[in-house]
Amino acid sequence: MDQLVRVDDRRSVARAVAMGRIRNVGWGVTRTLLSGVSVMAITLLLWVAWVAWVDNDFIAKGPSDVWEYLVGDDDAIANRAEVVDLLGRTLIDSGIGFVAGMAAALVLAGLIVLSKGVEAAVMPVAMILRAVPLIAMAPVIILIFGRGFSSVAVISGIVVLFPALVTIVFGLRAVSQQMRDLVHVYGGSDWDALRKVAFPSALPSLFAAIRISVPGAITGALIAEWLATGQGIGYGVVSAAGRSQNTKVWALVVVITVVSLVLYTVAQVVESFVLSRFGSEAGRA
Amino acid sequence: MKYSPRSTRMRVATVLAAAGLVLAACGSDSDEGSGDSGDFGELTVQLSWIKNAEFAGEFFADSKGYYSDAGFSSVTLNAGPGATENLVLSGNADFGLTNAVTVGQIVAEEDAPLKIIGTTYQKNPFTILSLESGGNIATVDDLKGKRIGVQAGGNEVLFDALLAANDIDPSEVTKVPVEYDPAPLVNGEVDGFLAYVTNESIIVEAQGLPVTNLLFADNGLPFVAESIVTTDEMIENEPEKVKAFLEAEILGWKDACSDIEGGAALAVDEYGKDLGLELDKEIQQATIQCEELILTDEVTANGLFTISDDLIDQNMATLAAAGIELEADDIFDLSLLTELYKDKPELKD
Repeated sequence: MDQLVRVDDRRSVARAVAMGRIRNVGWGVTRTLLSGVSVMAITLLLWVAWVAWVDNDFIAKGPSDVWEYLVGDDDAIANRAEVVDLLGRTLIDSGIGFVAGMAAALVLAGLIVLSKGVEAAVMPVAMILRAVPLIAMAPVIILIFGRGFSSVAVISGIVVLFPALVTIVFGLRAVSQQMRDLVHVYGGSDWDALRKVAFPSALPSLFAAIRISVPGAITGALIAEWLATGQGIGYGVVSAAGRSQNTKVWALVVVITVVSLVLYTVAQVVESFVLSRFGSEAGRA
Repeated sequence: MKYSPRSTRMRVATVLAAAGLVLAACGSDSDEGSGDSGDFGELTVQLSWIKNAEFAGEFFADSKGYYSDAGFSSVTLNAGPGATENLVLSGNADFGLTNAVTVGQIVAEEDAPLKIIGTTYQKNPFTILSLESGGNIATVDDLKGKRIGVQAGGNEVLFDALLAANDIDPSEVTKVPVEYDPAPLVNGEVDGFLAYVTNESIIVEAQGLPVTNLLFADNGLPFVAESIVTTDEMIENEPEKVKAFLEAEILGWKDACSDIEGGAALAVDEYGKDLGLELDKEIQQATIQCEELILTDEVTANGLFTISDDLIDQNMATLAAAGIELEADDIFDLSLLTELYKDKPELKD
């Protein structure tokens, strides 16, 4: 598809700018959706195969059991209400973590690109935050930040922070020396270079960071719910498993997995739309 | 809740794998086990807690060879806490230690094919532990407005049951998710903490902090605990194995309650060696559990692990108070224990 676009470009620059964008986006969205559907299909297949292999009705629930729990059963309405309730809480918590983590990553990435000193100070700490298992850190975080909003922001934010930070810094650094020199020749400062050249050219990286952060934020929120707040799907799954409410466990896992996939896909679609506005080459830095 | 009948999809691979296992089992195990009690292969027991003196009887049964005398080729004692019922139902453990309320809730809600076949503790040691200088929760009314640390899963069922049995609206109490370490109680994060009066209560008190206990058994929730649970399938298909296990358990617990310090030492020096247990605390725990929770008058008369009809009725009343509607037959099956004592009355002595 790369080639397609490039051939188009060569044939007619004017037409390619207009058509290329539309085709790019259209094809991009279709491809994203196709890959989403195939991932679901493969997962479903593996799930059915695994349930058949385990062959224990009480523990291993298949797609039909989950369907019955959420849709077919007499209690389905109550079950759904409960699941939606938990899901809503988890999505709010994920949103908190996502915003906290991305904001921190953006600010730190900017500072790192501007100053070597900041990099030397920040990167090791970010590495440590990433390397120490969150479950081990959680009690300390809870002691410091309590069991509410702040703990969710910190725990989920930490999961988001490191990959986003690395990706964004990589994008900001991708600006060529010539571009930076150009800004400086015209009397611009480092900050101007960052603002006018580095950030726009780092957009693909930024969107890549957003895309990978979506599932990350959800993971972080689940951990925070399990260990700190006792709400949402993160706690619901643990609690239900302890009570042997196995169908509920499966239903919750399926729901959060599907929602995570859908959000990831949405991020991908938005990404291809935005990048196409910045030219067909912007998406492949 | 409904379950689809055992499915007919699956399985060439499963059948082949199972056949392979059966063949392997037949081939290798025949040299083990003792004469009349048969050969029951490997035994896995899911404990309800870390390996401390709570399982002194199991430690004796293992170290003195009662399990192997009964015909088990090897013994694995899995430390808890975990989802005991799930582990037993999934075949990861042959027997598990749990309590009547958790089993009752799971049987009622999930139609779990499980039965309690005997119990170590006649009374349950569950308590809401609080600091005298902190929450000081002495009555159920003191619970209102307090933050209570409750561990996810089975203990939530017990806590819900405590509230239900005492007509306390769950919204009046803040349930805080905690793990099993009572640190959140000591550092003031919670006012109360769901615990064992025989364990965490002693640990916190040993730190020089006077504690208050709100015992479940004294507040509308008497029920049996450290109860042995297994699947209906096991009871039906392998009754001899169940009886062999119960016999080894009875012998182990006889030793545990006649040699308190020996049991505590087994926990500290051998089975729970990595846990940094303190001998004094373990002895204290082992003493309380034998004197107050295990060797009741009824047990002295009827034998270890038995549950009298009165006690069963009391358990069913507890379940009803907690909103769990069941018949005694749905969760208790003491027929094999009764049979065992009939065959070997000397076990009562």
